[in-house]
Amino acid sequence: MILSSVKLKNFRSHKETKLIFSERLNYIVGGNGQGKTSILESIYYLCTTKSINSNFDGEVVRFNENELEIIGSFKDYSNSEARISYFLNSNKKIYFLNGKHITRAADIIGKFPVVILTPTDHSITQGAPGERRKFVDSVISQASETYLKNLLDYNKTLRQKASLLAQLKETKNKTLFDELDAWNSKMIASGKEIIIHRLKFIRKFKDFIKDSFKVILNDDEIPGVEYMFLEGLSQEENIEDIFFKLLHKRKDDEIRRGSNLVGPHRDDFVFKINDVDLKTYGSQGQHKTFQVVLRFAQFFYLKEITGKAPIFLLDDVFGELDAKRSIRISEYLRQVGQAFITLTDFTDFSFLQKEDDDLVIKLNNGQVVYA
Amino acid sequence: MQIAEPLLIAIEELSKLPSIGKKTAQRLALHLLKSNTEDVDSLVNAIKDLKTKIHFCSRCFNLATEELCEVCKSSKRDHSLICVVEEASDVIAIEKTHEFNGVYHVLGGVLSPLTGIGPDSLKIKDLLKRFEDEEIKEILLALNPDTEGETTTLYLAKLIKPLGIKITRIARGLPIGGDLEFADEATIGRAVLGRISL
Repeated sequence: MILSSVKLKNFRSHKETKLIFSERLNYIVGGNGQGKTSILESIYYLCTTKSINSNFDGEVVRFNENELEIIGSFKDYSNSEARISYFLNSNKKIYFLNGKHITRAADIIGKFPVVILTPTDHSITQGAPGERRKFVDSVISQASETYLKNLLDYNKTLRQKASLLAQLKETKNKTLFDELDAWNSKMIASGKEIIIHRLKFIRKFKDFIKDSFKVILNDDEIPGVEYMFLEGLSQEENIEDIFFKLLHKRKDDEIRRGSNLVGPHRDDFVFKINDVDLKTYGSQGQHKTFQVVLRFAQFFYLKEITGKAPIFLLDDVFGELDAKRSIRISEYLRQVGQAFITLTDFTDFSFLQKEDDDLVIKLNNGQVVYA
Repeated sequence: MQIAEPLLIAIEELSKLPSIGKKTAQRLALHLLKSNTEDVDSLVNAIKDLKTKIHFCSRCFNLATEELCEVCKSSKRDHSLICVVEEASDVIAIEKTHEFNGVYHVLGGVLSPLTGIGPDSLKIKDLLKRFEDEEIKEILLALNPDTEGETTTLYLAKLIKPLGIKITRIARGLPIGGDLEFADEATIGRAVLGRISL
């Protein structure tokens, strides 16, 4: 998948910006507040119909404007043009693909796969378990519609059961307890599918992490990842049985607290370097390296599974890394194909081996200069 | 602009109907205004009859014009096989197939604690009572394959199992005439899991 150009209107600080991209590496350079990250954000918005970190689309509309528009030209087996408009007044989004009005978001999602590395990725390795689950769930969902549907079904079950637990806290009668058994059975049925899918995924994804780690570090540090589920399991044992027993054991607790205490919505993933827990013992550099590795692994994993190279967006990837790792990453990007990388003009990027096909785009006070 | 009050009221009432917006309601009201009196009268009567002549079957809670619905009254149906559905509209859907010769039981919804629907708000006790009153051999659970429908299926299965009655559920899989390549992954996955030998 190649993105050959984008046109932004009223997106963040961009009033009207037109950019033509290289099929190889695109370095977007500029000082603070020049709108480098906004360009990556607009590409992400166009590919997924969602903004990266805010839930409210109004935030990405240029100040004092009402309507934003992004037009992008993609090249795959054939050319296609995608156009998204958002209207602040009516909070409405309109999507056109090759001039055809698209009404279902599901028809766009997955059409233009995208992988983005941002400074907020630090929460994946350093934050709460929920951040790791979000990462894993998003990668699997990009590759498997079945998993996504299962996850939505499971989350709905959780909401229904939580509501029932609250009722049970007030009134304890046999009918409600029987109903709780039914919701628990449902939880086990769809929760088990999620656990098995995650186990299979991690087994495969591990190798992608190892490969990426080797390219970036090339020394004797060996990365690992382990999936911890149902209060400490890591092997595929009798999931149904254990799940059932745990739900039974925590039943009173669940009713007392009115919330779901057992299940894959409480699982965690443990990242390791040389068998040592990264979250607890990793240095800043090791964390940053691991975050970069995870995104490269995601890229190559999705490329293999879907047969389509995702669009790769890297925001401030070289920020906290030493020259040696930075050089390796910039060399590694050659294997990706097309990528979009932001750099501040303070960064010393003399290490970048810029080739003829690569493009440096400089942003300065709304002016775009190709160097 | 001044609009005659009866017209305004008609538009207001019509726009309460599902999938009827303000504009459609206005078009309908003006159309009725232009129609001849007999047509309007027969529409009014049809709507009135809906409420006065149709009620729920005292046995299965399907729509009925008498004490029992047409299905429950029929001697040609197999009364030892009960198909459990969510709503009366599901009975209509299954009846259209002419494939089912048993009788029905309409639950009137599915379990959903979030909207306050528990076992007591559904016709579950009435279903259990039918096991005492009638000679039931098999129960076919035909609820929607969504989160709440599946949980209700699990609930009913557990409740009925001790009674020693055969419990079945409708199969899930591909639509007839549908192309395998256009079906969604989850449906194909279920269809593969539920394969049958030939």
